Amino acid sequence: MIGQGIYFLLRALRNMRHSPVLSAASIFTVGVALALLAFFAIAVLNVQRLTASWAAELAVVAYLEQPPEGPVLNRWLGEIRGYPEVASVTYVSRQEAYQRFRQRLGSDADLLDGLGADVLPASLEIRLKPEARQQTAAVVERLGRNKALGELHYGREWLDRFEAFLLLLRTVGIALGGFLVLAALVIVTNTIKLTLYARQDELEAMTMVGATALFIKLPYLIEGALQGVVGGLVALLTSFVAFRMILRESLGNILLLTGIDTIHFLPFTWQILLVAAGGLVGLLGSLLALRKFVRFCQD
Amino acid sequence: MIQLFNITKAFQRDQNALSDITLRVAKGEFVYLTGPSGAGKSTLLKLICCAERPTRGQILMDGRNITQLPTRHIPHLRRNLGIVFQDFKLLNRRTVFENVAFPLEVQGRRRIEISKKVYQVLKQVGLEHRLSHHPLQLSGGEQQRVAVARALVVDPLVLLADEPTGNLDPDVTMEIMEMFKGANARGTTIVMATHDRGLIRQFPRRVVSLEAGRIAGDSRP
Ligand SMILES: Nc1ncnc2c1ncn2[C@@H]1O[C@H](COP(=O)(O)OP(=O)(O)OP(=O)(O)O)[C@@H](O)[C@H]1O
Ligand SMILES: [Mg+2]
Repeated sequence: MIGQGIYFLLRALRNMRHSPVLSAASIFTVGVALALLAFFAIAVLNVQRLTASWAAELAVVAYLEQPPEGPVLNRWLGEIRGYPEVASVTYVSRQEAYQRFRQRLGSDADLLDGLGADVLPASLEIRLKPEARQQTAAVVERLGRNKALGELHYGREWLDRFEAFLLLLRTVGIALGGFLVLAALVIVTNTIKLTLYARQDELEAMTMVGATALFIKLPYLIEGALQGVVGGLVALLTSFVAFRMILRESLGNILLLTGIDTIHFLPFTWQILLVAAGGLVGLLGSLLALRKFVRFCQD
Repeated sequence: MIQLFNITKAFQRDQNALSDITLRVAKGEFVYLTGPSGAGKSTLLKLICCAERPTRGQILMDGRNITQLPTRHIPHLRRNLGIVFQDFKLLNRRTVFENVAFPLEVQGRRRIEISKKVYQVLKQVGLEHRLSHHPLQLSGGEQQRVAVARALVVDPLVLLADEPTGNLDPDVTMEIMEMFKGANARGTTIVMATHDRGLIRQFPRRVVSLEAGRIAGDSRP
């Protein structure tokens, strides 16, 4: 069994050695298509991560013009905590707001030097339960009846818009990716056909001495799958290099404005999937190419 | 061994390459197939190895009806056949040894057995010193001897040869014929298409002659 496997593998490698240019062409095609797909996947995954973290942070913020006295504040907190939609309420004093802002600015914190700790207003941060997010507007309206609570801010609209954007990105990614993979499949199929044209006599001779279709085809299927896997690895490497050199910064610059800390590469399972997809394209390509080349009978 | 009943083959409508051929070849027989170009010799051989299907009629091989043999069973039929073509049809990227070993590899024989058998057959055809050459490094006569070795290595029930000496000089033709005679003596049934009347005179055997797709004569020496 293992001996048989090695036998077919050797035949596949031998075929590849005999047509290095065409092998390279197949690998290149799969590599380009999957690399582009990988770029999209990186973008989608990171935007998705961003929206997820936003959704978790989504809060209604009530800015307090005049921070109330302790007892009044406690009464308000108690009252808001009583709302069924509310998960938690925190009071952020002017000093705390100032400290947070400093931290966020990081090395640019010296911009704040000379400004007093009271430049920012105190606020109430009201987090809703995840299942109650649809009712944000109702909660805001209820809060609005308390005139002492100043402006009310909430990010729901933003999030909606972002989710719509994410959907668009994902749809475009899938459509474009599907198209690219299909194009790669067609090109790989035709590339393998070229090698088969050159070996038509050989294939015919094999059919005449009692070789089964599988026996003849297996090396070519292995060849296709190997080329696809190598193409997938090339795509992985390319997208990783591109990620380190370009993508992380440019995408980072866009997304950093929105408060995300780092841009991530594809997770491991996705990397495996990418390479497997390459193998599948190669395998399918050679399967399609072989269809009419191995014929035992002119029916 | 081979029985054809009312075989007709039409590649195009109203134009029969073979018409109503009925023929019986006994086990161990040696039959020449002759006739002018286009008479249908190659077509007949192709029908026997299922490379073409008859339009009408039945074909029996060793008692088994192969007329409608499913394509996936064709390889197994061919493992009992040796087929030799005028243009050799060797695997040019493989060595002589690998070419002759191929039909045995296909059958999943063990490596040691293959080596022994291949060496033995190559010795029979006088090519044991050419083992690791590639076909294109050999003369036409040597290539045809390799092809014959490949056909005989499996000890076929039937050897089908389509003008195997068509491109070869008289000396090589003699060598090939001696190999066929040897195989025939060991029990292989042989059907050989040829134009070569001199050859038939030199090695007289049963002669089936075709003309325009019909049997025009069937004679034994
Ligand atoms: N694949 C095919 N498609 C159409 N017609 C064919 C095909 N093969 C053979 N023929 C026709 O069938 C007839 C018999 O051809 P065949 O090759 O059997 O002749 P042959 O006796 O072998 O001739 P030759 O001595 O030249 O080899 C010819 O008229 C030929 O044109
Ligand atoms: Mg012919």
